Amino acid sequence: MSTTIEMSLNGTPERIVVGDGELLLDALRRRLGCTSVREGCGVGMCGACTVLVNGASTSSCLTLAVRADGAEITTAEGLPPDHPVVAAFVAAGALQCGYCIPGFVMMATELLAGDPSPDREAIARHIAGNICRCGTYPEILNAIAAAASATSGG
Amino acid sequence: MTRNDLDDIADSDRTAYSDGTADSDGTADSGSIAGYGATEGGAVGQRWPRVAAEAKVRGTFRYTADEPAGRCCFVGVHRSDRPHARILAVRTEAASQVPGVAAVVTGADLHAAFGDRLLSGPAFADQPALAVDRVRYAGEPVAAVLAWDLATARSAAAGIEVSYADLPAVHDVDAAVAGPPYVHETLRPSAVFRDLAHLSGRSGTNVNYEYNLRCGDVAAATAAAATTVSGEFWSPPTHHVPIELPCATAWPQDGRLELLSTTQTPSYVRQAIAQLLGLGLNQVQVRTRPLGGSFGSKMYDRLEPLVAALAWLLQRPVRMEATREEAFYLTTRHGVAVTGHMSADAGGRICAAAADVRYDTGAYADIGPRIAAKSGTVACGPYRMDNAWVRSRCVYTNKPSAGPFRGFGVPQLTWAHESLVDELALATGQDPVAFRRRNLLREGDVSAMGTKMHSADFVGCLDAVAAAVGWDRPLPRTAAPWQCGRGVGVAVKAVLTPTISNAVLQLNQDATATLLISTVEMGQGSDTIMAQIAAEVLCMQPDQVRVVAADTDVTPYDTITAASRSTYHTGNAVRLAAQRMRDRLLEMASARLGVPAVDCKLTSDAVLSGSTQRSVSLPDLIHGHFGALGTTLTTESNFTTDWVPYDGTTGRSPQITEFWFAGAVAAELAVHTRTGRVRISHLAVAADVGRAINPALVEQQLVGAAIMGVGQSLFDQLLFDEGRLLNGTMLDYQLPSVRDVPQRITPIIIENPHRSGPFGAKGVGETAIIPVAAAIGNAVRNAVGVRCRTLPLTPERLLAAMQADGPAA
Repeated sequence: MSTTIEMSLNGTPERIVVGDGELLLDALRRRLGCTSVREGCGVGMCGACTVLVNGASTSSCLTLAVRADGAEITTAEGLPPDHPVVAAFVAAGALQCGYCIPGFVMMATELLAGDPSPDREAIARHIAGNICRCGTYPEILNAIAAAASATSGG
Repeated sequence: MTRNDLDDIADSDRTAYSDGTADSDGTADSGSIAGYGATEGGAVGQRWPRVAAEAKVRGTFRYTADEPAGRCCFVGVHRSDRPHARILAVRTEAASQVPGVAAVVTGADLHAAFGDRLLSGPAFADQPALAVDRVRYAGEPVAAVLAWDLATARSAAAGIEVSYADLPAVHDVDAAVAGPPYVHETLRPSAVFRDLAHLSGRSGTNVNYEYNLRCGDVAAATAAAATTVSGEFWSPPTHHVPIELPCATAWPQDGRLELLSTTQTPSYVRQAIAQLLGLGLNQVQVRTRPLGGSFGSKMYDRLEPLVAALAWLLQRPVRMEATREEAFYLTTRHGVAVTGHMSADAGGRICAAAADVRYDTGAYADIGPRIAAKSGTVACGPYRMDNAWVRSRCVYTNKPSAGPFRGFGVPQLTWAHESLVDELALATGQDPVAFRRRNLLREGDVSAMGTKMHSADFVGCLDAVAAAVGWDRPLPRTAAPWQCGRGVGVAVKAVLTPTISNAVLQLNQDATATLLISTVEMGQGSDTIMAQIAAEVLCMQPDQVRVVAADTDVTPYDTITAASRSTYHTGNAVRLAAQRMRDRLLEMASARLGVPAVDCKLTSDAVLSGSTQRSVSLPDLIHGHFGALGTTLTTESNFTTDWVPYDGTTGRSPQITEFWFAGAVAAELAVHTRTGRVRISHLAVAADVGRAINPALVEQQLVGAAIMGVGQSLFDQLLFDEGRLLNGTMLDYQLPSVRDVPQRITPIIIENPHRSGPFGAKGVGETAIIPVAAAIGNAVRNAVGVRCRTLPLTPERLLAAMQADGPAA
């Protein structure tokens, strides 16, 4: 069985047909070409598939695509290159292999939308569910702190 | 001379590796040196940003699974649920009839098509792509379903029924040494390593390789020693868990096979697949994209033999995407047992050491025999000693195969020798840093295994990490029930030798360059480093040199991207190719400007005559040479290292390796004496890298490896019950998160240029992980007085040890 859903993906209206059991991860990757959304574990433990659904961070590997009907979806490639979080990650060198990084970028975007000047503890708490196997955590923390300074003017 | 200077902290560009809560004591968080100042080419030693950083941050960068594949059959694999059994029947009828299933293939089908060529592996040709007649571990692939979509392939594979007759299984490495049962009836060394050929056909053993080191007379020296310590050590099997899952696609076309795969070893895979299919090397193409992490997991024979065999047999495009659960079965890190002792004379000098090492390599040898040998050479540590005894054995058991993992078996041995040397220092009443310092190998020393030390500043590394954590200062005061301690560990590892690298450099007419190498970018930064090396020679700017992703139709042979060998080996090939390009340009400009070549000087986009001050731009020069726009000037180079194979009796060699990795870690931590929890306040990590081509990327390698090492010290482990993996999902397998990062990490770059490294550089990917567990274990010993010899140092284990021994007063 399949269903037609409509969503706003990175500001662009999209209308797609998805299977009833299809994951949002697969719909975004295979039907809409979002390369930033990645399966790392399939059980919601690594954060590599994180997207924002109506502004809230969501593991797309645990979410049915039909649940996104009518939603506003933001993925990392939807952020412009001069977005403060993107710019801060690039400037801080907050990547090694880079595979998990878009998930961290989405978590940082969500955090700063709700708290423009989080302290390091708040940043760490917010990204504690994302895994970077290369161990880039110090640079990621620095990047998010720098993005906060840039956006809050601090 | 050590160029490290901890006081030189002026560079504000550096990353702060601290959580911001640790007390500031004026020591640099990033203790790396300013280096050698500006170089002639302006590229080496610079903190160039990573290639493709913005695309990777925004996720628009295409990894292997993102490449267009066209219409493919997807593979679903049915796996054994028995650790050791004879296959009686594989019932595929139900799966074949599922709508959307194109084919069901068993090991017997593949064996009928490919014969014993189906058995592959880098050291031993012992592993079939699908089990034939017999399964040797729970999780082994038995049959493959091909379907037009992935979900159908996987669900149909689950519907296959297999009848087994169970065989006695062996799960424990020491039970396997004693044997029977035997995992393999006979040993089958591959054709890759000629020195394994004598093992062919050997039967009645699970020991597939044994390396022995015999130096001096350990028994006599131990008997005469003033102090001897001993112990049994265990490092459990662990897993790499790169976040990118393995993926391979194969397209048969025009009598060729094209393969796109997540592999660190494209040249190896081309050779292996050509052999499997009986094709010429030019009939197999292996392409890669930069990897989303690997750490040793995506090398040699992983998905590729199965995907290639299926595609060739069915003459259809075939794609396999491993699930995370499947990835846990593809390879693991060896669990290792070490029984060791170490002795000192009355003067506090190490006089003898011994290590009896057993690598649990699981059901298939993979590269385990090489790990047992290479690591065995350094099993007694980086210390001066006249008497050393090592027996290092690689042992089959009925578990998933173990292969290469960052450190290539050395971290597990370092856990033993760095714990022993600490105990020896304490037993002789000496400070562990001072004791090591007195005994560490120096430049020019010949180690127990016969090879001379060069560009391996163990003392400099140790001094730097000890200074960084304030070794000579009193411990921080902590409130009960926390108790503080400090510990150090020192690392030595030999680089894989001999190996081969090639580089082809194209200078485009517009003065950009395209570099063709088969090194695979996987987070270590090779695309950036290799561009910097070429740019240094050619005086180019960032982004002027582009590195092409490995493609065996295009990029030249390279042994492997592993063993921290690429900066040195491929880097040297790149340097030589760039030097040839520079010489060629100077000759061309000499003719064009009518001046001698020695009068010509290369800049980033022109050649300038010193005497006439006339210049010709590179675009004009190349345009003039060929008479056309868009042309390319090509140079190439090879760089190959050599060794002297170790003596069959003594295990010694005057040239076991091209260069040494030297490193040290110091840990300052607190142990919660009521729960056994460990909180690391400071981890200082130093490595002698010869020369840092890009200090920022070197620091990331040091810090990233240290964080991975923290996981392996405190919680990382694969758990088995009667051969069945218990925690092979990311719900159950714990990895370091941001919460596990030490409060403060200090990466320290030590630079003792290697005489033949590119601009003095060696490698750095593995060095920092090697001594982390030992430094943490020694700090725990210092804090609460208990010596744990089994990793990981979980709260349960520490608590039990503290309750057994009682905390130190």
